[in-house]
Order: sequence, then C-alpha cells, then structure tokens
Amino acid sequence: MHMSDALVSSPVAAVMGVVSVSLLVLSLHKIKKANNENVVPLMGVMGAFVFAAQMLNFTIPGTGSSGHIVGGILLSAMLGPWAAYVTLASVLVIQALFFADGGLLALGCNLFNMGVLSCLVAYPLAYRPLAGEGGSSFRLSLAAVLACLLGLEMGAFMVTAETEMSGVTALPFGSFLLFMMPIHVLIGIMEGVATAAVLVFMRRYKPDLLDSCKPVSGQHKVSKKVLLVIAGVALLFGGVFSWYASSDPDGLEWSIAKIVKDGEVSSEPEMVKNMADRIQRNTAFLPDYGFAVGENGGLTEEEMEATSSSLSDSKTGTSVAGITGGVIVLLLVYLIGLLFRNRMRDKSV
Amino acid sequence: MSKLEKAYNELDKMELVSSENSSVHALDPRSKILVTSVYLCLMLSLPLVRLSELLLFFVFPILTAAMAGIPYGFLFKRSLVVLPFALLIGVFNPIFDRETLFYVGSVPVSKGWVTFSSILVRGLLSVQGALLLILTSGFYNVCKGMEQMKVPALFTNQLLFVYRYVFVLIQESIRLSWARDSRSFGKKGHGVKVWSMMIGQLLIRTFERANRIHLSMKSRGFQGSLRMLGHFEWHRSDSLFLFCWCTFFLVIRIFPVSESLLASFRWF
Repeated sequence: MHMSDALVSSPVAAVMGVVSVSLLVLSLHKIKKANNENVVPLMGVMGAFVFAAQMLNFTIPGTGSSGHIVGGILLSAMLGPWAAYVTLASVLVIQALFFADGGLLALGCNLFNMGVLSCLVAYPLAYRPLAGEGGSSFRLSLAAVLACLLGLEMGAFMVTAETEMSGVTALPFGSFLLFMMPIHVLIGIMEGVATAAVLVFMRRYKPDLLDSCKPVSGQHKVSKKVLLVIAGVALLFGGVFSWYASSDPDGLEWSIAKIVKDGEVSSEPEMVKNMADRIQRNTAFLPDYGFAVGENGGLTEEEMEATSSSLSDSKTGTSVAGITGGVIVLLLVYLIGLLFRNRMRDKSV
Repeated sequence: MSKLEKAYNELDKMELVSSENSSVHALDPRSKILVTSVYLCLMLSLPLVRLSELLLFFVFPILTAAMAGIPYGFLFKRSLVVLPFALLIGVFNPIFDRETLFYVGSVPVSKGWVTFSSILVRGLLSVQGALLLILTSGFYNVCKGMEQMKVPALFTNQLLFVYRYVFVLIQESIRLSWARDSRSFGKKGHGVKVWSMMIGQLLIRTFERANRIHLSMKSRGFQGSLRMLGHFEWHRSDSLFLFCWCTFFLVIRIFPVSESLLASFRWF
C-alpha cells in the first residue's frame, strides 16, 4: 500500500502532509504530556521490531503466496494509539529513505493511509470497543480481524482517492476502486488473522504487556483542543480538496444518466424524479457545491445550468461551499455525539 | 538470500557509502534536505504530458552522484525497485487515453503512452533524489539536520533509535528464520501458527531489550532526551549549492526549455 511519489501531485501531497504532520505533532505532544520516559526506548525498539517483523513471512494455506503484518493495530494494542502512530511514522520514514518503499513527498499520504487510519481511527473505533477489557481470546481475535479489515479498506479507498485527485491515472475512479477494494479485503483478513495470532500468544504468555494501555476511566473525554484540531483539519479538507472535486458525474450518477438516456425509465418514475428535483432545488443550500442564487424555484433548466456552471467555475464559491459543508457535517456529528452522551448519562444514573 | 539478509546487506552498504568523503558529503545536511524537497516538489508539479522537461530533471541525480563520487549505476539500480508499483498504476493510461499527441516519423504517439512514461520517470527520479540525500549525508546527520530545522527532538530521537535497533533486530530475525527453516520440511512449519509464536517470542524479547536499554540509559544520566554531538554551521558553499540547484529546477519547471534547446539545435 506504500504510495510512490510517481502517483501523487504536489497539491495532494501537500494537503495530506499537513494533515498527517499535524496529527504527528499532536501525538508527540500527547506522549510528552504523559511524561513516561520509559516509552522513548520502548517506541524505538518497537519500531525496529515492526521493521523486522514485516520481512518475516508465513505461507497462506491453499495459495502459493505468503503474508506478513503491517503492524498498526498490533502496535496500538501494545503502546496505545498515539505512541503507535509515532512509531509507525518513524518506520515509514526509514522505509522511504532507504528502501524506496513509498516516496518522500508522498509520505503524508502514506502516514495517513497506513498510520492515522489504523492507529487513530480503526483502533479506537473498532478494536477497543470490540476487544473490551480482559476479553476472551475469541473477542480479541474478532476485534483484531475487524479492525485490520476496516483500517486496510479505508487505506485502500484513500490510495484510490489520492491517485485520482492527483490526476495521474486515466483509470476511472469506479473501476480503480473495484480493483483495489476486493484485494484489500483479502489482505485485511490475512493481516487480521496474523495480528490476532500474535495477540492471543501474548495474552497467554505475557498478559501484562497487553494490559499496559487499558483505558483509565474518564480518559475518553474529548478535550476542547482535540475538537478544535479535528475541526481545523475538516475545514482544510473541505476548503482545499473541494477545488479538486470533480464536476463530472460520479459512478452512480453516470450509470443512472446512462439508464435514463437509454429510455429504460418509465414516465412514472420520471415524474417522481422531477418532483424530487424540484424539492431538492428549493431546499439545497449549496447546489453542485457552489452558492445558490436567489429564488431558483422559478428558473428554467437552461438558466439553472448557466448560473451553476458560471458559479462553480469560481474557486471561492467551491471553497466556501466545501467549508460550509464541513461545518454542517461537524455539527451533525456533534449532535449525534450529544445524543450518545445523554443516553450514557441516563444509563449511569 | 532471504529478504532479511538482503535488507541487512543493503543498509550496511548504504552506511559505508554515506561515510565517504567528497565535496557533497561535506555540505550541511540542511542544504541537501532543502534542495531535495524543492527538487521533489517542482518535479512532481510538472504536468504529465511535459515528458521532455521531466527528463531534464535527471541532470540533478547524475551530476550530484558524480560530484559525490557515487557511481550512477549504483543509484539507478537501487531506484529500479519502484518500477513495479509505477507500472501497475500507469499501465492503464495507454489503454484509456488514446488521443494522439505527436508523430515520430509516421508513427502516432498517444497521450496515454507519454503519461505512462512520465509516471515511470517520476518514480525513478523521486527515488534517486531521496537515495542521494541519504547516501551523501548518512542517517545520523539527516536527523541532526532535521533537529536543527526545529523538527521535535522526540521524533528525531525516535528515528535514530529505530535505525540503531533495526540492525540488531534484523540480525535476530535472521537467526529466528534460520531456526524455523532448519526445523521445517517443505511447506510444513511455515504456517501462521509457528509464525505467530516466532513473532510473539521476538516481541517479548523486544520488550525485555527495551527495559534493559532504558535501565542502562538511566544509569548513564538519561533524562528524556538524547544529546547529539556537534553542531552544523552554514557555509557559503551550502548557500551556493542551494541557490544553483533551486534556480535550475525553477527554470526547467517554468520555461519550456527542451523546446528552445531543440530549436537552437535546428538553428545550428
């Protein structure tokens, strides 16, 4: 999954670099704050361990091929997510410099695809809740497989998205995705099984090492600073990436348009579609990711086309739309989070 | 030779090359880090269809390698590892993009083939740039330079730690791998079960090693950060190196140099 420099353009590399490096700085800050000086040599030697372990293969029964681990989930289970991300980042830097495994400029993309998504997303969202505290071997294995699968699938999706946004490949997004995702399901399951096997071994012979990063009560509280950082990253994504958002129809729109053109849709759904279109036009705040002008309800189709194309040409419109979209999504997520919090509070009462 | 042994030999060889003496080796690693970054940014921002300008970027690795006394073949051979990945992504371009861009004699060359070649060239160029940085500076100096460029010490220490122990742990893994091979017959013994016990053992030993290292560091006065020897000073040669290369990259990035070159050849 290591992306080479040949596959990314400078703007995509820069945006991903900013995101990954700011998360790296945040992780370093967290580690420093924990003030555990034992963690410095531990992270160092664990980085070397991952480096060596990635080159030790096992054969996959039934096929002629062999597999190995990437190590994001295993490291997170041993060191905690922040230290795991820093460790994985150092391994990726050395691999890029000495073995041309992933480019230097594409480092931001690689850090995000392999480090952030597995240590900071898949681990807290999938592994932690599923494995629980002192869970059985079965739970541990299930959590490891699902977390690895989730991490790798998200990574594969991002590799596809980053390559497409860089405009390097002529392969359409849909076909590229169809090519990447199924392969990574298999790789994810393999990685998961391997990670689970090592974790179960550790649980049996050295359970104290797995306990080292048990969540302390109250640790889950998200500080305002973290929220601000996430908000900043989301705004950056919305603001900068929306320049590259394609105005061409996506796979689904394209296939629907093709079906409609072929005249396979009967008049009844056509009526429903028109109605839905009208409702969407009247309610959409940012039609086709640009500003809406005045009352568009009364505009004809041609006028709508003209205004929206002239507006989506301007980058400011797109940027503001991207940022506003980001803010709306964040607000929604925050509201959902509030719902959960209230429910949990009710439970504890 | 196994993958582990190959990696060990490679690291060893690169460490040897980086400890040699030359005018490029003597430069401040900060200037080399900056030149490499500018080189990568400008080279990768060139549109894929401008293959002729992209080829001019080869001047940097060829010339710097010559100045550093590193055979270009050594560099080129190592950069070939990137080709399979670039091929995998680029191979679809000639299939999907058939618009004719120019003619060589009477043979039409499609845009897809040009962008495909660009992807391969970009891959080779970027790897050669990164390798040159490490081969002319050494990892220790790159980390020290980064620390002087205000990269957090915790991260540079982490890089140095990993690099130091990669040698130790690869050797240990080679021994584990030999032990497994000598006890296995055919494909038996190479499954996940034995592998997980092997990795588990390695993990436990790694933890114990980290504890021993921590204790010995503490007994030598470690208080949370490593102290590096010496301090780099910026010389006039560093500024000259930085200025010359950056100007060169900017010129080939902005102006259609190869076209004017071709035109002047015709004029002669």
